[in-house]
Parts: sequence; structure tokens; C-alpha cells
Amino acid sequence: MQDIITRQDAEIKLKTIFGLDHFHDEQWKAIERILRGERILMIERTGFGKSLCYQFPATLFDGVTVVFSPLIALMRDQVRSLYKRGIPAAYINSEQSYEANQDAIQRALNRKIKILYIAPERQENVDWIEATRQIKLSMVVIDEAHTISTWGHDFRPSFRRIINLVQLLPEHLPILATTATATKRVQQDIEQQIGGQLTTIRGNLVRPNFELQVIKVQSEDEKMIWLAQNINSIPGTGLIYTGTRVDTEVYAKWLKFVGVNATDYNAGFDAECRQSIEAGLMNNQWKCVVSTNALGMGIDKPDVRFIIHTQIPVSPIHYYQEIGRAGRDGNPTRIILFYNENKDNESGIASDLRLPHSFIEGARPTINKYQKVIALLQNEPLSEREVMKLANLKQTQVRVIKADLIDQGIIKEVLYGKTKKYEYQFNAPTLSTTYFEELREAKLGELHSMEQYIYTDMPRMKYLCTFLDSDEQSDYTNCDNTNLEKLHVTHSPILSAKLEEFRESYFPALELASWTTRKGGFRICISAPNIFLVEKTVNDENGVVIERPVVEYHNSINVSDYSLEEKEIIKEHLGKASRMVNGYAASYYGVSNVGAAIHRSKYENGGDFPDFLLKKTLSVFGKKFRGTHFDLVMYIPPTKSGNLVKNFATRFAHVIKVPISHDLIKVRSTQEQKFFQNSYSKQENVAGAFDVYEDIVKGKTIVLLDDIFDSGATLKEVGKILTRKGAKCIVPIVIAKTVGGTL
Amino acid sequence: MIKQELTYWVTLALIPKMWTKRKNEIYVNCFQHEPKISIIDLFENSSNWDIVGLNEFEKTQFEEAKNQLANSSFLVEELMAQGYDILPITHKEYPRLLKVNLKFNAPTVIYTKGNKTLLQSPSIAIVGSRNADFNSLSFTDNIAKKASAENKVVVSGYAKGVDRQALDSAVESNGKSIIVLPQGIMTFGSGFKQYFKHIVQGNVLVMSSFAPKAPWSVEFAMARNPIIYGMASEIFVAQSDDKGGTWSGVIDGLRKKRSIYVRYPEKNEKNANLLLIQKGASAVDIVGGTLSLSHEEQKTPEQLKMEKLNNDIITILNSIEKISSKDIISRLQLDWKDDKMKRYLDNIQQAEKIKVKNRIYYRLKGKTEHGLFDVKN
Repeated sequence: MQDIITRQDAEIKLKTIFGLDHFHDEQWKAIERILRGERILMIERTGFGKSLCYQFPATLFDGVTVVFSPLIALMRDQVRSLYKRGIPAAYINSEQSYEANQDAIQRALNRKIKILYIAPERQENVDWIEATRQIKLSMVVIDEAHTISTWGHDFRPSFRRIINLVQLLPEHLPILATTATATKRVQQDIEQQIGGQLTTIRGNLVRPNFELQVIKVQSEDEKMIWLAQNINSIPGTGLIYTGTRVDTEVYAKWLKFVGVNATDYNAGFDAECRQSIEAGLMNNQWKCVVSTNALGMGIDKPDVRFIIHTQIPVSPIHYYQEIGRAGRDGNPTRIILFYNENKDNESGIASDLRLPHSFIEGARPTINKYQKVIALLQNEPLSEREVMKLANLKQTQVRVIKADLIDQGIIKEVLYGKTKKYEYQFNAPTLSTTYFEELREAKLGELHSMEQYIYTDMPRMKYLCTFLDSDEQSDYTNCDNTNLEKLHVTHSPILSAKLEEFRESYFPALELASWTTRKGGFRICISAPNIFLVEKTVNDENGVVIERPVVEYHNSINVSDYSLEEKEIIKEHLGKASRMVNGYAASYYGVSNVGAAIHRSKYENGGDFPDFLLKKTLSVFGKKFRGTHFDLVMYIPPTKSGNLVKNFATRFAHVIKVPISHDLIKVRSTQEQKFFQNSYSKQENVAGAFDVYEDIVKGKTIVLLDDIFDSGATLKEVGKILTRKGAKCIVPIVIAKTVGGTL
Repeated sequence: MIKQELTYWVTLALIPKMWTKRKNEIYVNCFQHEPKISIIDLFENSSNWDIVGLNEFEKTQFEEAKNQLANSSFLVEELMAQGYDILPITHKEYPRLLKVNLKFNAPTVIYTKGNKTLLQSPSIAIVGSRNADFNSLSFTDNIAKKASAENKVVVSGYAKGVDRQALDSAVESNGKSIIVLPQGIMTFGSGFKQYFKHIVQGNVLVMSSFAPKAPWSVEFAMARNPIIYGMASEIFVAQSDDKGGTWSGVIDGLRKKRSIYVRYPEKNEKNANLLLIQKGASAVDIVGGTLSLSHEEQKTPEQLKMEKLNNDIITILNSIEKISSKDIISRLQLDWKDDKMKRYLDNIQQAEKIKVKNRIYYRLKGKTEHGLFDVKN
């Protein structure tokens, strides 16, 4: 057993390692118990210093403290700052390479690190499991512990296994669970799940420096206009949270359009891109980052000066959690929530309630789909991918179904060799849907409470704290129900016109350009006609990657930048590089009358695509590719009969005065892509389905037209074949891009 | 049972260099102590170690094991997440018969997947060689089907030959079967895949008493046999060699007075079935019917041949005062070398070697002129 250190001695250590003079009483209370090998649940607001409650003891233990955290950004931040303090730490997560994860595991095994952060889904990782047989474990931490409760606002099924683990850990091993947001119900759920002798430490949740305001609007336009008018006059830098990924793009583009220094961020971006935006955020590179709520959780930035939600979250607890990331330094911080209360839509509810409603209602696939999966698994154990293919379901759906079935003890995730398969269990119970129903009711209730936040006349912080069952004594002020002004949108014809102009000129991108595989320290990407990106990997003398700068060349790669040997490597890459560049859609499918028009032509015998679609498509083409010389217009041949796209392409070619080619043909029949619910099946459906004569495309710059862009599988496949046949450049243009993607 | 206890049980079971018997003894000491010492207290509170009678070396073993507890938690979690059940010897679902039969040598923990009620059902084991012949396999098939018809669980070891036949015949006839693995339960992927449907339907249970991730080994295959025998009320032997796992298992079982039925072989079968019958196993026919065999019928063809030869030799010796081995060979018209016959005669108790003028002769023991030596004996 650890010798218990006195508070005085501990604070001397605290000063030398962390540079802090004292623990808060609640911190010390937790640390003292942890050192005695107890189990603690800490519910403390963001910025309280929960991390110290495990980081400090971890420096005293001789083994490794394992921190389960769902927040990858937080892991990076914490490890970096621990290193600065001389505390060796590492993390294991899906964003990092296999080698880097292996290295982290190895260092933990050799006791070279004190703290190991690990994403909960890694608990299912074979190499980590192997390592757990050897690792000297001193303490287990469950960060964001509300995610272990299905009643919590962000339940993670992969945490289920962590809980099982915690219940199996030996009695003397200290366990700390932390969260900033837990209602009494969630608290009790966590207490019950962690089990054993658990002490709960619950702190004050009030954030007195928050200036809470609500802006009721009648349209999306009003939100955009208010932001354009006001954002630059809010001090400091901050975040704008939107409800969907598409909206991050739309809002960020709009703000840039009116001269605000903004960027967008969402979980659809690749890891490198996300990390660079996170770094930029830390350095106040932008006035605001427009993001889904994927950003900010766990980012350790003390001075996020404002958080503006363009979309109401699904519950007050979500809202508290999301705004909690702002103003950790205690300085005044603007917290603004937009709410479009206009009920002028087909569902007859406030416009901004539609999205959270659809989240709740669409949280689970239909029971039929559950039964389909069960029936398949009763027959044989299958991998996730096999289930997707055999049941023709989206990956997201399969994941929800699988998590629920595991939860109900109907299936288990079993390793067959190194492959994870889902195995139906002997004596499995029948699927219970009452629980789904209860959960749905609870979520609708929480959404209703969130709606009440808009209309309450209570001090807004009091409203949130009450919802979180925090019964603290405090003077609640600092909101538009007490001392602050009520905000409204002032109409501005100039901005309205600008918004119109923005909408006319804003086109969704089709990111179809691709990098070659890194080889010889290089990779290249042809991103647009005559634009070449060259990435060079720079290593230090030990072969560790220092940086990977990317140089952009126009027309041709400046060979004098490279040595003879490098030139050869680049040449080789050029020979392999995909000739398909990034393209554009004229519009999003769902957000205007474009979708309806396409649907009429395609599925309701509405005849050729109407002129306005051609006009819009020509407009994007003109705006983006003016000045590029094209040799050929090609189009994707139809799945069945029908000349919609052919006719459209012919008209398009006629206007831009470029020859049309009908030579891209299908060599085998395919099914309609929309039938397939996941990209594996979509890729398979079109693989090797197209062909064209080399003479026709060799050396040509081609516009490739299609009507709808969904997964992009068809265009990618055609890009491959045209590249192989020697095309110089392929520019994909479509009428509409669907929202959301499928995988 | 509290879930957390499983961590401690698995840790106990995994302590290296300590016999199962000793592990069970230590726990029994905990159990019998007043007040009872839980498995958790056994590890967590080292002041209990003297109380339960650990020697100094065992204390260091427990000290090390205690450091392994957290690691065991990960293993137990993994087992549970993958649908394996962990049954410590105190668990109410632990097979009663195994404890009755093996006593302190019963595995401290067994790992299972499938229908655990099979563990408490009436059961038979069918054992035999990996290279079983046609008769043995049809016997196995008959016995498995008969057991299935009588609602008895067929226990077998998932080896080639008899084991697999027992399993497949039971499963084929909608019977129930327990597979006792010669390896850790988590290394049985292909088997689980193959018998998946039967497991899901509750007809097959897979069990192992070894470290869950340990691969197959000869030692495990040997150590597994007593467990198969221990899991069954009756043991049917299809085919046994005169050494190896089946043989030693049966010998051990006979010593423990278990009900063991051995297939009565046809003439000319090259196996040790008759030897087992001679040692006290019950003989059964190809469909499992009990046979009451005369003394003669229990003898193997080799035994019979040898007896005849012995009789012939004794008859010769009886008819003559002394005779050389060469003469015996020629009288019996055997195609033997002289040396072979000499060695053979050395093993005949009734024969006696005498030397006359440097030549070796044989005669019947006691058949001498010097009758008074007999009296002395």
C-alpha cells in the first residue's frame, strides 16, 4: 500500500512539478482517497482542475495510470502539457499510426510512462489486449464519465466494456471517474455501474462569467445576417456551433464572404486537417471556428471568448457541456443561442426543433433492421462489414444495432483469430424495444426542457443548474433575463442582398482529387487542372519525421527544386497519380428546389432536366474553371435506360462549345447506387463496370458530368479508368450533392 | 457470485508452479476458517496467509499473483465480452460430477461457452484412439446415438478419430455434447465457427480448464483426459493402445472404481481393448450391450497363441528328461533361431535350465531325480 503523503508534502511536490501552490480542498479530498486506493466520482465544472486529481497521484505511483477518454484532442493536449512538466505520458487512439500506438504500448509495458491515455474503443484492440496481460497498472481513470450512462447526453457503447472492466478490477486499485455534467439520474447510474465503495464529490456548476443570451429569429437568413453584423464586435475569438456538417461549411463560407476571418471544422475532416485547425484555434488564428460539437470537447484553451449556437442542442445538458468549453479563465464570455421559432413548415413545429427531433426519432434503425441482423447472426458469426453487405445497411446503422444487441446480451463481439465477429449467443433474450421507447421518451423530454430554456424568464444559468440537479446557493445574474439586453436581428437590405449573392455563388465541392501513396519520401496530388501538390517528408538523422511540407505548383512542377534522384521519384509518382481533380456540384440536393427538380425528371417521368439546372451547373463550371481549356465533355452512362444525363451533357457541351463524347460505356450492368446502403457495396457495384477507348481520352482535359453525387464511388471508378487510359485531367461536375454522405 | 471475485479466482487458477490440488486446498482452508475468508480477502489481506497455511515460497507466489490481479481483470473482462463463462469450483454451475470424481484435483476454474445446464446432466464419455479403425468408429457412433436417445450428454475431447466421431454422431442425432478442450478456450476459433449453430441451439458446450489463451500442447492433451473421465458417469472405450492417453486414463479410472465399458474387439484387432477388459473394465459389444465373457474369451489372440506354445513346450518337457532348445524348435517345427527359443524358455516359469558338459538343456522344473529338493522348497 502507498504511504500516504501529507497535504503539506504533497503541495511542495505540486509546486515543483505543476507550479501550483495549493490544491483546492475538493481536489485534495479526492487525491487523498485515491492514494488510499479508493474509488471516486468527481462531478465538477469544466476548468475546476479535475485532471490534476489523477495526474498528481500518477506521479507518485510506480506503475502506469490508464486514462480512458473519448476525447482524442484532449489526449494530445494533455500529453503535450504533461511532457512540459517532465511527466512522461502517451496515448493510444485511432488517429495515430499503428507504429505510434505500438510504441505507446511498449513504453507503458516498460514503465517508461506514468500516464497512458486510451480511447475506449481501443479496449477492443488486439494489441492493447495483449499488453494488458503484462502492464503494471496503478490506477484507472474514466474521463467524461457521463458517457458511460445511457441516460447521459453522449452515451458511448464502447464504454460498456470499460465499465465491465472497472467492476472486475481488484479492490485495492484506485479508480477516478470524472465528469462536468451529470444530472442526479446520471450520477446514480454511474455510481451503480462503477460499484464498490464509491465516494462522489460534487462541486459547484455555476459559471458566473458567462453572459447568456438567446436570439429568437424567423429564418436562417436572420441568423446569418446577425452574425455578419455583430461577430466582429464581440471581443476575442470563439466558436460557432452548427447542427450539421454542411452548415459548418455554409456558415464559414458566408462569414468569409462578408469579410470575417473564419474557418470550418467537422469530424468529416481528416486527422491532419483537424489537428491543424485545433492548433490554429489555440493560436487565435481565426475570429471564429465554425464547427459541429465535435470540436472543443477537451481542448484546453482558457480564453474561448464566445460560443454561439446556430442550432438548439438536444438537451440542456448538451448545451451546458458545449458552452462549458468557453471562458475557463473566468473572464467575461458571451454565450449566445439562436432559435428559429418559425413554424411555417410541413411539420408544423418550430424550424429549429426539426433537426433535434429527427436525431431523436432517427437515433435507432427500424425494428425490422434489428431482426434482419439477428437472423443473419443466428446463422453464423459475421464481421461488421459482412453484416453491412448481407443486410445492406449503412455502417452507422449497423453500429447502433450492434451496440444495442450487445447491450441486451443477444450478441457478443468475439475474436476469431484477429478478426472481430459478432456472435449470436446461446440463450439470448429476445430483442426488447421497451427500453428504446423509454429512452426516446426521455430524450424528447430533455429536448422539451431545452426549448423551455428559450422561453424561460428564470435566470438562464439557474435554469441550467436546476436541470443538472445542482442545488447551489448563488446570485444568478448575467443573462438577458436579468441584467443584459435582449438581442434582436436588425434587418439590413444590404446584407440581405449580399446573402442572396452568396447563395448564388456558393457551390459544394466534390473532393475527388487524391494523393499517391507515400513512397521515396514523396507523394503528389493533382488538385485542379494544372495544379500539382508535392508533399515531401523530412526526417531527422534518426529517421523520425520532422515535417511534411506541401508545395503547390501551377502548370508544371519546378524541377530545379529537387535533386536528380528526387526528380525520378516525383516522375514516378506523376505516372501513378490520379488525374481526377476536385470538382463541384451546382447545389446541395436537399437544400433548395434543385433536388425536387431532379427527382421529377428522374423518377416521375418529368422529362429532361429543366433549364435552370443547366444554368446553375454552367454557372458553377464558369466560375470555377474559367480559363481552363477543355478537350471533351463526357458523362456517366445510365444504370438503366434513359438519356437524362446524356441529353444534359449534350446541352452543356453545346453551350461551352466543347465536343461531346458518348464513348464512355458500361461493360457490365450495375444496379442503382442508391440501392446500396454502404460504400463497400457501392464500390463493388461499379468496380470494373466502365470502359473507353484509349485513343479517345489520351492526353485530353475532360469535363465529366453526372446528375447526383452521393458517395462518389461511381465518379472515382470512372476517374480510375480514364486515368488508366491516359486522360490528362478529369474535372467532375454534378448538378447536386447529397447531404450527409453514407459512411 | 460477485463479478469481481472472478478476477481473484482466475488469478488463483493461473498461479504458476503450484498444483491444482494445493490451490484447492488453500481455498478450502479459507472456506473452513471461522469466520470464512473470501477469495478476495485471501489475496488482499496478507495476514490471512499464515492462517490458511501458506509456506514461505507460496507467500511469494501469492505476492506475485496479487500484482497480477489488475491484469487478470482485463483477461476476465475480455472473456466475458466474448461470451465465455468463468466457473470457479465454488460456482453453483460448476459440474458437480467433476468435483465428486476428481476431488481436490478438480480444476480450480473452468471456462465454458454454450449451454451450461449440460454440465449437470447425466453424461457418458466416449474415448479412444486418434487413429481409430472402422469398428471403433461405428461403435462410437452407436454409443453416441444411444446416449442421445437416452438424453445423456456425450463428453469427448475434440481429438481426431473417436472424439470427433462421438461429437458428430451426438450432434447429428440431435443429442447433446460437451467438448473438453486440450487448449485454452480462446484459441478454439475454428471449432466455435464449425459448431456455432449447435452451440447457439444449446446442444454443445465447450469447456477448458487451461489458461484461456494457451495453445494446444501434448501436456494439455494428457492433462485433459482425467477431466473427460471426471465429467462422465460412464466411460465407453472404443479403442485403446497399450500406452498413451486413453490407456492411462482407463487404468486411472479403474483404480478409482469408475464404470468403464470397453468394446470387445473382433479377432485380429491390434489394440489393447482386451487387456483393459482383463484389468477389470466391462466388455461391451459394438452397440454397447454388456457381454459376460469367459476367462478364455478375454484373452487376446497373441495370448492364446502363446498359451498354446507354452503348453506344447511343457508337453515336450514333460515327455523327456532334458532337451536342447534346438530340439524343441525342430520338434515344434518352428522357424525360430536358437537364441530366440532360449530367451523364450527363460520366460517359461515351469522350465528350468541345466548345464551338462557345457551344453545347455531344459527340463521341467521339479522333474528331477533329486526329489528331495522339492521338499526343501
